[in-house]
Amino acid sequence: MRNVATGIGLLGILLLLVGSYVGLFVAPPERHMGDVQRIMYVHVPTAWIGLLCSTFAMIFAVAYLWTGRNRWDDRLVGALEISVILGGLLLVQGMLWGRVTWGIWWTWDVRLTTSLIMFLLFAGVLALRSFVEEPLRRATWSSVATIIAYVDVPLVYFCVRWFRSLHQVQSSPETVHSSMIIPLRINAFAMLFIAIWLIAWRARIESKSRGAERPPERIEIQGAQNG
Amino acid sequence: MAEGPAGVIIGGWPYVITAYSITAVALALNIARLAARERKADKNKESDSNG
Repeated sequence: MRNVATGIGLLGILLLLVGSYVGLFVAPPERHMGDVQRIMYVHVPTAWIGLLCSTFAMIFAVAYLWTGRNRWDDRLVGALEISVILGGLLLVQGMLWGRVTWGIWWTWDVRLTTSLIMFLLFAGVLALRSFVEEPLRRATWSSVATIIAYVDVPLVYFCVRWFRSLHQVQSSPETVHSSMIIPLRINAFAMLFIAIWLIAWRARIESKSRGAERPPERIEIQGAQNG
Repeated sequence: MAEGPAGVIIGGWPYVITAYSITAVALALNIARLAARERKADKNKESDSNG
């Protein structure tokens, strides 16, 4: 299983190199934005996979609360960490793109603001985990906090359709030239494979670190037997 | 940022390179952090099993 995850990760890195090369040097410049639009080939996959990892985190949180199994908490940590990393990268890439196309680094536009809130909420869940030492409480609280934080994720995606925004609405294959779709898709799969690898790796580390701690499900069983 | 005759943005490559570089560095740092963390976890596990 470990080798499969590493293989997926290495394939992701290879695809990211190929997709970035095609995006930077093969795809044509955009009609109005010129070469700056090439940021899209890394910005959009970062957004897609960041939102997907947040969704994974929410699913793992629900699965943990439902089953009480440690493996879901291990995966939750992995998904939360990669969500925060991609969320931070998304903001930085967007600021660079905005500086050139809009002339400003930042504005309190609805898409930018909800993205910043999403980043802060998931970073907050990770901070919460670091403050709680008792494993059962840590896992339960971070699962509940993740589900609450996830409320912002659909807002990030749909806000550009629901509200007036400086940020453009989502593109579709019908509105993007085929030469631009190829690097976009390669990098999207690359980010997905890298994210899966990093989540699996982080979950494995969490499982190993848990060795010294008492597993929550055993506490529950013993409590039930004593009661 | 300079604009061409038809309103096309000219240049901007430093911003493009910065966006790609920051992404690559962030992913590389996270991979290095996980590798270090796994080594530490393995070491702790080993010392626990040795007594």
